[in-house]
Amino acid sequence: METFTHILNGFSVAMQPINLWYTFLGVFMGTIIGVLPGIGPSAGIALLIPITYGMNPTSALIMMAGIYYGAKYGGSTTAILIRTPGEAASVMTSIDGYEMAKKGRAGAALAVSAIGSFIAGTIGVVGLTLFAVPLTSIALKFGPAEYFTLMLFAMTAVSTLTGNSPAKGVLATVFGLVIATIGIDLQSGQARYTMGIPEFQDGVGFVVVVVGLFAMAEVFRGLEDIFRGTAPPAMKITGKLWLTREEWRRSIGPIWRGGLIGFVIGVLPGAGGTIASIMSYTTEKRLSRHPEEFGHGAIEGVAGPEAANNSDTAGALVPLLTLGVPGGGATAVLLGAFIMYGVQPGPLLFQTRPDLVWGLINSMYIGNIMLVILNLPLIGLFVRLLYIPQGILFPLIVAISAIGAYAINGSTVDLWLILFFGIVGYVFGKVDIPVAPLVLSLVLGGIMEQSFRQAMTISGGDVKIFYGSTITVILLAMSVISVALPFIIPRLRALGSSGDPS
Amino acid sequence: MTDRIIFVCTLLLAGVYFWATAQIPSLELGDPLGPKAFPRILGIGLLVSAAMLFMEILRKSKKPKDGTAAAWRWEPHQWVVVAISVWTALYILTFEPLGFMISTTVYLLALFAYFNRGRWLMNVLTSVLFSVIGYFAFTKLLGVNLARGILPF
Repeated sequence: METFTHILNGFSVAMQPINLWYTFLGVFMGTIIGVLPGIGPSAGIALLIPITYGMNPTSALIMMAGIYYGAKYGGSTTAILIRTPGEAASVMTSIDGYEMAKKGRAGAALAVSAIGSFIAGTIGVVGLTLFAVPLTSIALKFGPAEYFTLMLFAMTAVSTLTGNSPAKGVLATVFGLVIATIGIDLQSGQARYTMGIPEFQDGVGFVVVVVGLFAMAEVFRGLEDIFRGTAPPAMKITGKLWLTREEWRRSIGPIWRGGLIGFVIGVLPGAGGTIASIMSYTTEKRLSRHPEEFGHGAIEGVAGPEAANNSDTAGALVPLLTLGVPGGGATAVLLGAFIMYGVQPGPLLFQTRPDLVWGLINSMYIGNIMLVILNLPLIGLFVRLLYIPQGILFPLIVAISAIGAYAINGSTVDLWLILFFGIVGYVFGKVDIPVAPLVLSLVLGGIMEQSFRQAMTISGGDVKIFYGSTITVILLAMSVISVALPFIIPRLRALGSSGDPS
Repeated sequence: MTDRIIFVCTLLLAGVYFWATAQIPSLELGDPLGPKAFPRILGIGLLVSAAMLFMEILRKSKKPKDGTAAAWRWEPHQWVVVAISVWTALYILTFEPLGFMISTTVYLLALFAYFNRGRWLMNVLTSVLFSVIGYFAFTKLLGVNLARGILPF
């Protein structure tokens, strides 16, 4: 009953004019960030942190969440019109969406992704509301050992499920943890790995790492494409921005299924929007009576994956808000933002700041309504962004990153770090090392070490504490399974059909 | 080949990290583990990932077609990335001495001139307006500190 009051109260928080304004600002910027190739939600949120410093945390977090889920809407526009996913998870949309655009049905493709995103996004928020409370009551029983094994599970899942090589995923994860150990050790006050650079005593800020890995590396790749002349041209919106009755009938099933798949995948750590949309695509292709149309402009191939990658965002907020442990790169950046504002997400937050938690969750219902308006009647406005010459856009991203990074400490060390991690991100992209696990472990590294040491202090140095309770045993078992999965899945696939999307 | 280089780099990183960990002075006071224990586990983690990589290299060499991603080869056009890195390094070096407005205008203008060739008016206007408006919006409206440099405001 008390929870119910909190939820209702959350609506009044979300409906406050100031928060409506920040919801709008968030989803508006999210759409822009999604449309523009070269800057994704992770870098967008990271760059905003220094600028919004000192703002009321509820409003700031509502805005950042808006960027996070708004970017998925915008990403589909780019996928459909220039066949480049504006955001990684829209990669499946670019297959059939671009084919539809070539056939003069760009309008229908944009309409179905906006409507599908809206329905699935709302399914996701309902799911988030329902799952949040029961999960927090479990999480309240967690001690340091449980938290340590939970983070271990999140990291093993992310490292083995993103990318093509589990070894490189593990390497990226440990590399992120290594970076996290730079700076003064909070428990002993001892400086570690500072290399004589005074700025490193506070550690390497995750903002600059994220901006380097996601924005700067993308600038390198984008300018390289322009140099080679391989940058794709933008299509015009053709056809009415609405669906025919037949198209609607074909899309509604995929939207519902995609919405459910996306939410479940989103809650699980590691998988994320890209896998959710691939799963939805293959599901629809298998269920379809005309699978041969897939890859040649099937509307189901746009509706399902778009729905899946939008409800995924709400699903991914479940572990972040209830446990305080994110399951992927973008939510890790959100956790970083929470911590910067002095807000620690997790079960206690539901008790101490119900207004913040439920205000944030309920703002997503409103944000989704705003997004469907921005992305249907007003889509023409955002499409113009695609006609900005990329030779202008990419250099500007560097300058914007420089402002955001310099604003944190007023030190050029942060600018050097952006350049360094930009080069790292570019090289990692070329050699197929995933960067999402690195970001996740960088953000979690400090908390993970702390819970490890607390647990060891409680047990008097006995490692038994990490397999001493049911919860830790389950989490350890799940970590082992997630490491084993990449070796099992290819065998299962070999047994199944050859319905591979690529 | 690429994977072998990553393998060697991982071993090197692990070595350097173990060495740097040993350099941390320990003060065993109340904290049973101290600041070195967790880093040691991470060093082992690096070795584990190197071992996993080694196994993947072995498996791929048995089945040459198995690799999903093609190995990365150096191509001449990638010099452009080196050039941009050097230009960006110069931008960072001049960021504080010259100030945000001048260094950013010059930095952007050169990149625009190359990657958005021929459209001079657009390039000059964008680089100047972005630097000036960006500077004043952030320093005066948002109160964010940006390097002033040699200009009086």
